[in-house]
Amino acid sequence: MTINSEQLTINSYGGLDDGRAVARRKSRFLREINAVISVLARDIMVGLKSPGLIISSLAMPILMMGLLGGSLSQNMSAGIAFDYGKFILVGQLINMLFMTTVMGLTSLVDDHETDFMQEMMVAPVSRYAIVVGKIFGSSFGAVISMIGTLIVGLFMGYTLSVTQWLLIFALSPLICLSAGAMAMLIFGVIKNNKISNMAAMLITMPQMFLSGAIIPINNSSGILLVLNRIMPMTYCLDLVRSVVYRGTAEYDAIVLFNPAVTCAAIVGLTVVFLSVGTWLFARSEKNR
Amino acid sequence: MNTVIEVSNLVKQYDKSKEPAVRGISFEVGEGEFFAFLGPNGAGKTTSISILTTTLSKTSGDVRIAGYDVDREARQVREHIGIIFQQPSLDRSLTAEENIRFHACLYGMYNYHPTFRGMPAEYRNRVTELAEVVGITDALFRPIKKLSGGMQRKLEIIRSLMHTPKILFLDEPTQGLDAVSRRSLWEYIDNVRHELGTTVFLTTHYIDEAEKVDRVCIVNHGEIAMCGTPDEIKRSCSKENPSLEDAYVEFVLKTGGMAS
Repeated sequence: MTINSEQLTINSYGGLDDGRAVARRKSRFLREINAVISVLARDIMVGLKSPGLIISSLAMPILMMGLLGGSLSQNMSAGIAFDYGKFILVGQLINMLFMTTVMGLTSLVDDHETDFMQEMMVAPVSRYAIVVGKIFGSSFGAVISMIGTLIVGLFMGYTLSVTQWLLIFALSPLICLSAGAMAMLIFGVIKNNKISNMAAMLITMPQMFLSGAIIPINNSSGILLVLNRIMPMTYCLDLVRSVVYRGTAEYDAIVLFNPAVTCAAIVGLTVVFLSVGTWLFARSEKNR
Repeated sequence: MNTVIEVSNLVKQYDKSKEPAVRGISFEVGEGEFFAFLGPNGAGKTTSISILTTTLSKTSGDVRIAGYDVDREARQVREHIGIIFQQPSLDRSLTAEENIRFHACLYGMYNYHPTFRGMPAEYRNRVTELAEVVGITDALFRPIKKLSGGMQRKLEIIRSLMHTPKILFLDEPTQGLDAVSRRSLWEYIDNVRHELGTTVFLTTHYIDEAEKVDRVCIVNHGEIAMCGTPDEIKRSCSKENPSLEDAYVEFVLKTGGMAS
């Protein structure tokens, strides 16, 4: 195999210099955004090539909304003063976003195990760009699960208005980021695939039960109250419910906080969790 | 010759280890130089290369790459280096081209587009031409898992050179490759080095691959035991007309290291 100098100039040198010039022309902020898009696009591309991921993302809503939601709705709604079906539909929509994002983020550990993480870690981009890209990439399955939940809800006779659907879609990136940021506290330090799968369950299951996704938490007290107040899903659920129930008689019985407080809590928890999680992740990759 | 790698008193002790893996090594590599680290398994070669490429923290010492400090200016260091890791670091679910595209976009060379056709013509031409040069044109749009080990290594080299690194780190790049793949890979690296003036830092188990380097350092038990040109290293051997491998094996056996 030989390379003539003309070929090399075109292929490797001239072109590469052009490439570097392009990189330098961009501001650092734009380069970080491009890195986030590259990381998330790669995860989506991998997701699209994995029928198993798409099938399980669609199967989860049948389990969580159809079976669990259906059973709770039939057996618990009698003693509740509001429409439990709509309550659990919103609860499971957010639960699906959280659960699937957290489970998808286990790919961070997969990347470590397959050594692909090294390729990302030697790139001249911030560790935040890598983590945020991975979180949004993981939310690909979450959006499929959310759509699946809406479809299952439709079959069960629980519907939302188009405006409410669109508002929930608009809030979904913030919800996925919030879920992923919290998961990073754990995944940032885990390097084993089996442990990460168990950790995903440990992160998502308590939130499903304690944050008000399927059980109203208006009367929580003691340690359970403390726990649901530090869980980002509590605030994400409350924000979405404040949108869905706005102007209805049920609003006061269902919505816990002022939406401004809820937004501040989501942003605050996300920033703190993302900062600490990314720091732990970068540190654990480098410090051995 | 400008110095592009400066290592001074580098020490690395892993968290759960009682002994340091690297014990105060110092060396310099000049711009355009072909430099090799040889040593038995566990000598500290990969640990050193990991620190130099910012993927591992050091315990103490100073390391500057292309004039930048690996701790305080890690981002600038990363902009100037390319690396081929000991273990392949390709995404096996993606195609060869998708792996290159990911790298080019992650390094900020191009804006990401989900299809090859949607990428800029400059990118498409370069990838196609580079694939021709290394002989993987037919494999460009095939999933990585369907490529041979040799093709995967060639792809990693293309990828590592995409952003014009000043310094190319090769951590046992030919491990697991057959003789034909090894030879064609070295021809490509030699040509790139001569035409582009890229500094190459190599660690290898195949001592014959280090015959043509400018300078060799033999690392043993985390220390640099010997440094010099291949001819200087050979002169230390008691054999007549020794190869670099003869000199290396004799040295390692004499110093109690396990030859790799």
